[in-house]
Amino acid sequence: MPQYRSIFKDETKLDINFVPYRLPHRNRELHLLMEFFSFALQFPERMTQRVMITGDVGTGKTVLSQRFGADITREANKRGVNLRYVHVNCREYRGSLFLILHHIVSIFHPNFPKRGYSAEELLRMLLRILDDESTYVILALDEFESLIEREGSEAVYKLTRLQEIRQNKPQRLSLVCILRNLKAIEQLDASTRSTLQSNIITLEKYSKEQLIDILNDRVSLAFKPSTVPEDTVSLIGELAFSEAGNARFGIELLWRAGKYADAEDLGVVTPECVRKAVSSIYPAVRKNDLAFLSLHEKLFLLGIAKFLKESQKAYISLAEAEQAYAVACEEFNENSHSHTQLWKYLQNLSNVSILKTEVSVIGSRGRSTIIYLPRISAHELEKELWALLEKGQE
Amino acid sequence: MNLEDVFCSKLRMKILKIIAQVGELNVSEIARRLGANYQTTSTHLKILEDEGILQHKVFGRIRLYRLNEHSPKAKAVQKLIDAWEHANKQ
Repeated sequence: MPQYRSIFKDETKLDINFVPYRLPHRNRELHLLMEFFSFALQFPERMTQRVMITGDVGTGKTVLSQRFGADITREANKRGVNLRYVHVNCREYRGSLFLILHHIVSIFHPNFPKRGYSAEELLRMLLRILDDESTYVILALDEFESLIEREGSEAVYKLTRLQEIRQNKPQRLSLVCILRNLKAIEQLDASTRSTLQSNIITLEKYSKEQLIDILNDRVSLAFKPSTVPEDTVSLIGELAFSEAGNARFGIELLWRAGKYADAEDLGVVTPECVRKAVSSIYPAVRKNDLAFLSLHEKLFLLGIAKFLKESQKAYISLAEAEQAYAVACEEFNENSHSHTQLWKYLQNLSNVSILKTEVSVIGSRGRSTIIYLPRISAHELEKELWALLEKGQE
Repeated sequence: MNLEDVFCSKLRMKILKIIAQVGELNVSEIARRLGANYQTTSTHLKILEDEGILQHKVFGRIRLYRLNEHSPKAKAVQKLIDAWEHANKQ
């Protein structure tokens, strides 16, 4: 019986909920968060903190907060401080303050009833529980926008000013509000806004190189050695960068490409696996888009698809594409068009997102255009184009 | 109260079993699981609390009951129920 051998060492390291020990390119922000909360390790009862983390999808907001939560909890426990980090995705609780608070209370009292009191009463109960158990909580409200949308200023105000109704009692609840951009905060009234806006950590979109570092980190955690070539990581980095620097997208793509490699028992994650993975995430290039291409655009694309499929490379240079196009023209008894004409085809194909181009610097010889297929497997594309071209000859 | 007086009630035994299994519960939920009314449940809970087997915490209008962790009687009840359930599973 053939033995099943996977290229994965531990695929859970690519799971959306996995929090890596190291956060490449987010160290500065992690230190800043630790700085904001350094009091929590020394004098937790004397103050609370409110921090906002903002950034686009896949910029590492959630993982940054969770890494911070794990680190500070461990440090606090070492010092004998009873600190808990609670991460709540507000959207999961439909932005309801009541449901969010109930979730927190049920961490301490798992069978706490769901009916019979208001959110405000629940907040008071939570503080009593924290007093009883001498516990401090850092509450991370992920997708904070949905809480604002549903509850408005009132709920946020309650959360941020609750100490004012507890004069001379230990301060218990700090907040980390995680949101995509600060526009949502504009909906709040001025006094609520002012309680939130003092500490803001903005996460910039990852560059392609940063995404490649992140992917390499995950590759070493999740895959067996030498199963993911540099070329593949670079292609995924490129694709994730074109998706607004979305690291989460890149990591998911890496996992999916690994699955395709395993399914075909390749022993290595090839760029073609990545292209298949992308077309399984996105709707693949529509047949209509291909049908509307001119004959020579189809031939040009066919040459590129064949080259990428056979070479198992992630990219093809324009010079290589021209050669591949010439071969395709021969196969269909067509005279090949000039370089200038091909350049126009390339722009057109790029505009309709069937392929993408990038200018790369090769050694000291200057700039060169490289081409890659972002959304469709080379194999699939070749098949579609053959079918269309043969139909055109009939 | 004597041992036989505390444990002669089927409802009280059921209350102890429920609480030993879930850890902590409010009165309405205990009543619902017993299929008894709130008043009856409250009365039995009070008896068990007076005996030191249960304790409760009040959160506004909510009373959460649990086994009294400092009571040797509660520890014995927990052991008895665990042993009973374990033997029944085998």
